[in-house]
Amino acid sequence: MTKAVIINGDGKTCSSIIGPTGPEHRRLANKVMEDALRQANLSFEEISCVIATGYGRINVPFADRQITELTCHAKGVASFFPTARTAIDIGGQDAKGLKIKNGKLVDFVMNDRCAAGTGRFLEILVDTLGLKIEELGNTSLKSTKKVQISNTCTVFAQMEVMTHLSQGTPLPDIVAGLHDAIATRVVRMAKKLKIEPDVVFTGGVAKNIGMVNALKDNLGLEVLVPDEPLLTGALGAAILGKELTLKALAEGKPIHEKERRLEEATFFQAESN
Amino acid sequence: MSDEKKKKKKAINRLKTMYPLRANIDKGYERSVEATKAGKPTAWSMVNWWEADPILKAMDIEIVYPENYGAVCAAFGKAQAFLDRSDAEGFPTHMCGYARNCIGYAAKMKELGEIPSEAPMGGMPKPMLLLCSGALCDARIKWFQALGRYLDAPVWTVEMPHPGVEESQMPGVREKAIDFMVKELREFVVFLERLTGRKMDWNKLDEIANDLIAINKIWYDLNEMRKVRPCPMHSRDFWTCMNASLFPAGDPKEALRLYQDMYDEVKQRVDDKIGAVANEKYRMIFGELPPWHALKIFDELAERGWNFVIESWAYQAPKPMDYSKISDPIERIATQTYQWLTGYFEDALKEKEYMGYFAYPYIEWARTFQCDGALFHPLITCRTATNHLILAQDRLLSKWNVPAMIAEGDIVDLNLFDYADTMRKAEVLEEMMDHHKKVRQERGLEW
Amino acid sequence: MTAEEKKGIARAKEIYQDRALRAKELKAEGKQVMGYFCLYPVLEVLTAFDIAPFRILGDMKEPITKADACLPTVVCPFVRSAFDLGLKGRYDFFDGVVMCHSCDIGEKASHIWRIYLDPSYYHFLDTPHTVHKAAQEQFKGQLEDFIKTLESFTGKELSTDKLKEAVEIYNRQRALVRELYDLNKSDPPLVSGTEIIEIMVALMSIPVDEGNDLLKQVITEAKERSDGPQKKPYRLLVWGSVIDNTALIEMIESVGANVVMDDTCVGSRAYFPVVETTDDPLDGLAYRYLVELKCPRTFWEAEYGETKKDYIKDLDSRFGYVKDYIKEWDVNGVILQSVRYCDIHGYEVPGIGDYLNHNSLPNIYIEHDYSEGALAPLRTRVQAFLELIG
Ligand code: SF4
Ligand code: SF4
Repeated sequence: MTKAVIINGDGKTCSSIIGPTGPEHRRLANKVMEDALRQANLSFEEISCVIATGYGRINVPFADRQITELTCHAKGVASFFPTARTAIDIGGQDAKGLKIKNGKLVDFVMNDRCAAGTGRFLEILVDTLGLKIEELGNTSLKSTKKVQISNTCTVFAQMEVMTHLSQGTPLPDIVAGLHDAIATRVVRMAKKLKIEPDVVFTGGVAKNIGMVNALKDNLGLEVLVPDEPLLTGALGAAILGKELTLKALAEGKPIHEKERRLEEATFFQAESN
Repeated sequence: MSDEKKKKKKAINRLKTMYPLRANIDKGYERSVEATKAGKPTAWSMVNWWEADPILKAMDIEIVYPENYGAVCAAFGKAQAFLDRSDAEGFPTHMCGYARNCIGYAAKMKELGEIPSEAPMGGMPKPMLLLCSGALCDARIKWFQALGRYLDAPVWTVEMPHPGVEESQMPGVREKAIDFMVKELREFVVFLERLTGRKMDWNKLDEIANDLIAINKIWYDLNEMRKVRPCPMHSRDFWTCMNASLFPAGDPKEALRLYQDMYDEVKQRVDDKIGAVANEKYRMIFGELPPWHALKIFDELAERGWNFVIESWAYQAPKPMDYSKISDPIERIATQTYQWLTGYFEDALKEKEYMGYFAYPYIEWARTFQCDGALFHPLITCRTATNHLILAQDRLLSKWNVPAMIAEGDIVDLNLFDYADTMRKAEVLEEMMDHHKKVRQERGLEW
Repeated sequence: MTAEEKKGIARAKEIYQDRALRAKELKAEGKQVMGYFCLYPVLEVLTAFDIAPFRILGDMKEPITKADACLPTVVCPFVRSAFDLGLKGRYDFFDGVVMCHSCDIGEKASHIWRIYLDPSYYHFLDTPHTVHKAAQEQFKGQLEDFIKTLESFTGKELSTDKLKEAVEIYNRQRALVRELYDLNKSDPPLVSGTEIIEIMVALMSIPVDEGNDLLKQVITEAKERSDGPQKKPYRLLVWGSVIDNTALIEMIESVGANVVMDDTCVGSRAYFPVVETTDDPLDGLAYRYLVELKCPRTFWEAEYGETKKDYIKDLDSRFGYVKDYIKEWDVNGVILQSVRYCDIHGYEVPGIGDYLNHNSLPNIYIEHDYSEGALAPLRTRVQAFLELIG
């Protein structure tokens, strides 16, 4: 999904957009940018700094800088929850663990090799279950005895799910098992960071209450979830954009490292793919 | 139904003498756990093919084997937590399951200051020495060295040269290699004396060295009898009993006596023409370590007439030779280990087969044991046991028309072995074996 | 040779892109070229026999297709790639190969190479694991055997003078490589990490004297050039398993860092140790190749036969030289990298990480599977690491 957040000099959000997913990063970036500007009622010229983040960050031609989603996420998380020390982000293609200190990223781990342990795992399996992604959370709450999904490989897990279905295992127990399988994997990975509370859970999957519970169980810790877990990265990028602008202004340096056509410092904006 | 069940005997006719031998292995293990817990100096060692263990034994140092312990943890379902711990410590996940289990265990033990309570079979006590061997799997040296993060024991490495097949037959190579091993082992003795404050008991070493040679001789001869039709002993009996020779824990004299009993029983079966499998239809080779948790697959295969008549070179005794003229026990030890490593090289060179261990023995045995096929079980996290299997499969087929199947698994991650899939492949292999048997006959081969 | 003959860095790039370029010309001139694997085959010996050594490397751009039929997929992808190239005929111009016991898979792949590629000359140089005195002697003996097989292959006897000459000329090469690396102590460095790979690969593809000429050109050119690397906030050292393709370093340098130093075997690891002149040149050679080459495949102990264990002291003895590099090259971040399935480097990672942390040096471990395509996710990791150094 392509997202945009625009904030002003006081750090207040002027607009936030969650746009569609797709392979054409460049076109989508332009589109969400236009939408965000419209929502904020601003023109592009009024934006003082644009930070691009996420996988598509190199495909945002109008950005001043590219900063990785790890740094942006840490920033965003710290802005919601100043007490956060660890953040776990499960997105569509990857899962990340972040260690945060004084609002800054200090260490991280990432899984980007395989679908298991990411949102993709659920996306692949919902079809098999005949459910919609949004239904997973509530369905799992009805579970009385979650099943064990022993395979970490998505293809095999799918076969396991089919076996459970054919044996008449209740759907909620299967869904709870799948949540648990992802949580186990992600926690295993995050343990490299020596997890400390508070733990914040972000990313699209954090909207799923079943996943939140599974993560809590696996960590043995409470987890905090922001209202808009999807926008954490984009918001962090916007905050970094603001900080960079203020720093440049204070040092009397130009804000834009490269030549941009129109500039006048009033607003801060960010893009993320 | 129940009638039928009663009639149906176990498909594999296990050796009776195998049970006491196994019990002795287990007893030896328990005794050593007790001794180490009582504070006896303990070394963590790894299979070193009789090169270093006799020296530890002669100095009365107790030995525990983290490799073995990895298999124990896996069998008790306790490995995963240790593997996870190793991952969390930052060790890459693709590495040897035994090593990662051990690293996770050591990390946990350091954290707790004592043996983790969940550790099966009493756990492994803190060692005073970490003893590595460069034999075959040289990454094991790195494994023990990495334990320095958690243990303050010194690390020692015993050397073992690995010449190529042709190189090994050059004049002087054998002598130089053994001489090198001897020098290093003498250094090792000096080091141990310094470490323990004890003196080497050379008479005891002499005796232990001889006992091990005797054990290996009888173990070798016993396995040679498996060449007859029907084969009197199944691989399962081999695996159950190999530890007494490979990991010389406990009293070697007792082990020797038990192997002797086993020899007698096998001999009797040969005389009586009793096979380990009732209707021996396929004589099979097994490659590398078996799927420990799924051993019943061998019963199912035995019902189809599969008799496993020979297995993995790395766990076999060395080809016998005359050690009687070697008066120095250290030299005798080094010679035996070198003989184990390179014993097949001369024949391999004659046949221009350049992987003299691991792969070549299969090629030789296919003929000498008259095998119809092979089942190879590569281990996902163990490269040493896997590297050569595709080659061996290829050579067996092209040289002797002996087809082999590969069923993947792992030493610690037991889920990796796919039982049903292996059985499906086995059926296909049967068809291939039937076909290639005809081809072999057409080619005028003896079997 | 034509008028547009390339020189210096451009020439190195040309050879990097077509490694066999010069070797094939040499063959046409009637010279012998021999492949060697890893760093342990003693190059001075080959050179003393008038044989041009050519290092066997892989190709990250080339998908592995043929090697699957002989080597399982769970082994070192670098070895698999190199072997795959062999099977595809990319090394058909070799007059023979010298292999060695780099590690377990290196050893097995060597024998498998012999079986499937059937070279007219093959020698397997077994290499001890320890550096004890007895191991040095053993290695010297193994070198003597290696020489014997070469003598019978070439029909020539090794001349000690020629061997001594070869030692000298290789030492010259080593000194020149050091001089080249020294240029990167300045900020910005004078040669990019990517160019260093090209130069090192080129050196491993041409005879030593030609390599020395090339190095001289490169050094002069680097000192005079105005199109060298830009100043960047990060000066990195890259540690780990073999890097013989530019893709990884290019990726690192594309996110805003200069790779100014390395500890890998197509780099400083291969060239920094020199050979001491000894009466019997084989003594110096055995010592240099077994003891001085700092590859983790060898077992190092802090003190010979120490009975106490001090973790930091142990790390110091194993990685102290990396700390020195960091100081001398003014490095502010270390990238620890390894190909997947390399056990040798894998076990080392937490230890060297501890050591760098102990010395307050930011570091990150990345693992890759030796293919260009799979580098993209690593870019994020590396960039985030740089952001984290700040
Ligand atoms: S041989 Fe295999 S199982 Fe044994 S230590 Fe090496 S990798 Fe592990
Ligand atoms: S990269 Fe590692 S596994 Fe591959 S050859 Fe080198 S040491 Fe061996």
